Order: sequence, then structure tokens, then C-alpha cells
Amino acid sequence: MKKILILSGKGGTGKTTVASNFINISKARVFSDCDVEAPNLHLVSMLSNVQNRENYYGLDKSVINQDKCIQCGICQSYCRFNAISFVNGTYLIDPHMCEGCGVCNYVCPEKAIDFVKSVDGETMLYKEDKVFSTATLKMGSGNSGLLVTKVKKQMQDYIKDDDLVIIDGPPGIGCPVIASMSGVDLILLVAEPSVSGISDLQRIIKTAASFHLKTAVCINKFDLNKKLSHDIISYLKANDIDYAGEIGYHQEIIDSINKGETLPINTQAYKDIKKIYDFTVNLLA
Amino acid sequence: MIIVLPTKTSGEKSFISENFGRANYFYVYDTEKKLGEVYVNENLDNPHGVGIKTAEFVLKHKADVLITPRIGGKSQEILIDKVKMYQATDKIVKENIESFLNGELKELF
Amino acid sequence: MKIAVLSGKGGTGKTFVSVNLAYVLNEATYVDCDVEEPNGNLYFKGDYQEKIVEVDVPEINHDTCIRCGKCVDFCKFNALALILDKVRVFSQLCHSCGGCKLVCPVGAINEKKKPIGVVKSGMYENHQIISGEMYIKEETGVKIIDELLDAVSLDKNDVVIDCPPGNGCSVMASIKDADYCVLVAEPTIFGLHNLKMVYELSRVFNKKIGLVINKASDNQMINDFANEENIEILQEIPFDKDMGYLNSVGEIVSKNKKYRKYFEVIAEKIFGDRL
Repeated sequence: MKKILILSGKGGTGKTTVASNFINISKARVFSDCDVEAPNLHLVSMLSNVQNRENYYGLDKSVINQDKCIQCGICQSYCRFNAISFVNGTYLIDPHMCEGCGVCNYVCPEKAIDFVKSVDGETMLYKEDKVFSTATLKMGSGNSGLLVTKVKKQMQDYIKDDDLVIIDGPPGIGCPVIASMSGVDLILLVAEPSVSGISDLQRIIKTAASFHLKTAVCINKFDLNKKLSHDIISYLKANDIDYAGEIGYHQEIIDSINKGETLPINTQAYKDIKKIYDFTVNLLA
Repeated sequence: MIIVLPTKTSGEKSFISENFGRANYFYVYDTEKKLGEVYVNENLDNPHGVGIKTAEFVLKHKADVLITPRIGGKSQEILIDKVKMYQATDKIVKENIESFLNGELKELF
Repeated sequence: MKIAVLSGKGGTGKTFVSVNLAYVLNEATYVDCDVEEPNGNLYFKGDYQEKIVEVDVPEINHDTCIRCGKCVDFCKFNALALILDKVRVFSQLCHSCGGCKLVCPVGAINEKKKPIGVVKSGMYENHQIISGEMYIKEETGVKIIDELLDAVSLDKNDVVIDCPPGNGCSVMASIKDADYCVLVAEPTIFGLHNLKMVYELSRVFNKKIGLVINKASDNQMINDFANEENIEILQEIPFDKDMGYLNSVGEIVSKNKKYRKYFEVIAEKIFGDRL
């Protein structure tokens, strides 16, 4: 059993395009979308049977018990997140703004504020002949190390020894990305040749290196800016990081994404990705 | 000496967890008494900062050694110089402890 | 008018649209609220003045501290830990709620300022450019976003707000004072999915909404959705390799007459009766 994690630092570099085509080429039986703030992989996974659905609870939020409340306003004066407002004679806590810190609960002289469990989202496990693990988040909630870990854990029991598992990782470099890295055998970074893409790439390479995980980088939209693409390749060489290959800026990729499909075998784009796939699988061995 | 390992299920036949902070259980083994105790990870459902709580747990149990597949930045900061950390293998807890006692495990730092 | 530009997903063209929209609007201010990966100032090259943004984090007086652990137990974010008889603060996890200081029975906790990032401001031609950048190890940039928006709250010029991706708390903080939300979407199955997310967010906040379709093609899926929901389509910007190249090297494409008109039309439609 081997796990490949696909990351990008910056959003929009083509992480999900690479992940979905990898899944198609490898005929992976088990895959996961950890990019829960903008989950997309289910749109190309074409699975519909949800085997498991579970609420994801983030931090508890505070709620005022109006029967006990004496409208003293002390809670509002202590809240640092502007979450408490006084409307029509009632003090109310806005759950979108409430950070669940517990200060208002603590300072209320009447102990009129309770903690309530807050459903921040839902984890979902699709199962047909393939297994797909993902989650959705409610508006205003953020991804977390906990949620990514749950998404990865829920597919664990379905993985067989000979499986190649593909994980579409979260963007950025924060806690959710760190959580996505546990237990993987290789990280494939999808970079793009733009000034913003490069600085983000460097940030994430540093993070991956601190975990001593095998890392390889591929460049998507290669001919968007050939000079920058070559700069990236030089950077990788200078830092001893494996270069997995490139994908050109092809119309056919956009077409296939439009239709929610993976690339047809006879396209240049497919061939580009297949090369990267072969390189990556070779590194795993 | 005291050895701590993050585990998937409970007991010495369990496999090592791939997570440190979000392991399901911890196995705390006393080499002198030749006795191991299982603890449920109570911090599992915290959205953030779990590694820190786990490092606290390791220190609370006066661990000398931690055998783990990986460890995050914040927990690393806390435990370095206080606990020796070794790279876990993919075998079960019992075998990892044996490998450690035979000097076969690699230090993480 | 304050115009927030959002897209739900990274890489859709939020910054591309915000930068160029701000550029074609007379003396408009551009604010980059994507503090984790700010890209706006790569287009508006020039000199910037920096101001450090600070948050309050706990400072423990170890002599007064009696190691009762009440602060550690109180903190919901696990930012405090009792390590070998000393209370340690993990300020990256701290949300600055002030709770630990309140619960300490012996007054051993004070607050000190911790820098979490910067606000940069400068001028580019006759536009004020303000952007925020969060330091790498920090977890939440909402305070920086609040300061960015404070800086423009009394701005008499129009303000274009380049929002962070996603629909989490930093996006909400970015749009809360906006008068109008421009949603940017790509005509792909992913694009539609992400559009729905930010559309929902904008509606919950009761904002006026307009849509820009970026990298437009024959695909009508976004147009169909817009028609169903009665969302005004401000512009369809076609997929153009040359324009893409210019954008990738940090060029403001609307400096070019050929591309400028795309953004002028967006401005006209937003300001409608005012122009």
C-alpha cells in the first residue's frame, strides 16, 4: 500500500486536475479529497453512493440562555470578536463570529451562557467499487488538522495491501496541510510558472522537507511562461529536489475539466501527465 | 525506563499510528516492570493544537523514549532535549519495543 | 463604493480582476486582503511603507505562577501547556481572547504585543494600494484584515477589495463592509461548484452581487446558473494566452487598450446609474 499526496501551496495550479488524472491512470481504488474548503474531486470521481456520513464538530460555540440572562451586557464588553450584539432588548451571539473562546461564559454573573456543540461540516465516504473520502464545511468554518485527519482516517479500513492511494491535499501551508502529510509515502507538488506560484512553492517545499518525506515537483501550465518554468527547474536542481515533468497549457485540459472528465488517452495533455505519473510511481518503488 | 508509542488500536499487538497527536491511543511501557498501559487519546477531537497536548502527555508520564513515525513542529520543540525520539517501524508495538531495546531503531533527531 | 472581489477557489482570477478593475476606476484604492498569499503588490510595483500588525498574547510571570493549570484547562485553542512545571505559551494558536488572564487566580498572566504581520501602503499612479501580509508561522490573519479595512473605512474613493480564497472567517471579515460583491468564476464544473459557495456567502451577508466569468469558453454552465438565480453577468473574459502571459509576469493587462475595455464594462455595470 502506497499513498501519494498532491499539494500545491497556492490554489489554482492544477492540483485536482493532476489528482483526478492520476486516479484514472492508476485505476486507484481508494482516493481522497482533503481540500475541504473547496472540495472538487467528487465532481470527477463520479461516485454517488454515500456509505458513511458523519457530522464534523468544530469548537463548541457559546449561546445565551435568555431565561437566565439579566441583560447586564458584561458578556458584550468582554467579547473580543464582536460576536455579541444587543438587538430589540436581547443580547445575542452570532455563531458565525463566535470563536468559542469561552470568555463570555466565564464572565457572565448569572452563568447564563452555555456551550453548544457546533456542526461545522460533514465527512463523507463514498463507496461503490471504489472508495472516496471527503468532507464539506459549513460557511464561515475553516479547515482544520482534525478534519483532514478524519477524512484520511475514514478510508483507512478500506485500503488493501496492493492499493495505490491518491490524496488531493489542501492548499496553503498551515495545519491542514501538515495533517495531510502524515502516513504518506510521497508528496507531489504541482507548481505553476507565475511569480505568485514560485514563492508559494518555496514555502511548501520547506514544510515538506521538515518531515523528511520524499518530494517531487511537476510544473503545470508550463508554456504559460517558459522562462519562469525554467527558473523553477533550476531551483529544484540547486536544491536536490526531484523534477517529475511538465504539463503544457493545453486547451484540451480545460475542455475535459469543463465536462468533469479525465483526459482522453490520445491527447498531449494525457501523455504529459502519464509521464509524470510514471516518474512518480518509479520514485515510490 | 518509560517508552511511549502512539497506536492505532489498544495494546501491545496494535500497529503504530501514522499520526502522533491524533493517534487513537497511547501505549506507555515501563521496561523495568515489563508492564504496558493503554491510554485513550483524549485530545483527539480538538481541531487545533493537538500535538502540544500530546507532548504534555508524554512528559506527564515521565517518558524517556518516544517511538513514533513522525512528529510535528510544535511537539518537536517541546520534547527535544527532554525525550529521546526514535523512528517507529511498521510492525506492531511489541516488536517496535523489542527493536528499540536491541538498538535497531534510528533516532529521529 | 466598496467592491469586494471573491471566487471561493484560488487561481480563478480574483486578483486579476481586482487589480485591473481598480486600475480602470479613477483614483480607486486597491486593498489586498489575501494575507496568507498576497499577490496584488506584484502588479503594483513600487515603494511601500510598512506598519506592523500586532495581537495580544499572554505573558506568564513564572515567579507569581503557582502552576495550578487553570489557564491551560481554560484555553480552548490549546495555546497553553504545562510542560515540566512551567507554563508555556504557543502564541501561534492563541486567538487573543484574554481568557487565560481572567481565570488566573494569582494575576500571573499579562498580555504583551506580538507582531503577526504587516500592512503595506503605497501609491501607484493615482491609486492607493494597501496590502496585508501574514508572517509564515501564524495561523489567522483576521486582525490584519480588520486593520486593512479600517484604513479604508473613511476612504472617499472607490475601494476594490481583493478577498482571500475559500469561504471561511477571513473571507467573511473581508466582505462585511462591502457594498457590492463581484464573484469571479471559471466555466468548469469546479468553477460552478465554487461559485455556488461564494454566492451563498454573499447572499447571507445581503450583498449586491455581480458575476465575472473568467477564461470564458463555449461552456454555458455558469451563464445558466446566473440566469436561474438572476445574477447579473458583468463580463465574460475569454481565455487568451497572450493576456495570460502578461498576467503571469505581473503586468496590469488593462494598460493595454485591447484588454482595458473588459474592465471598463464591468465598472460601468457596477456603477450603472452613478456613471
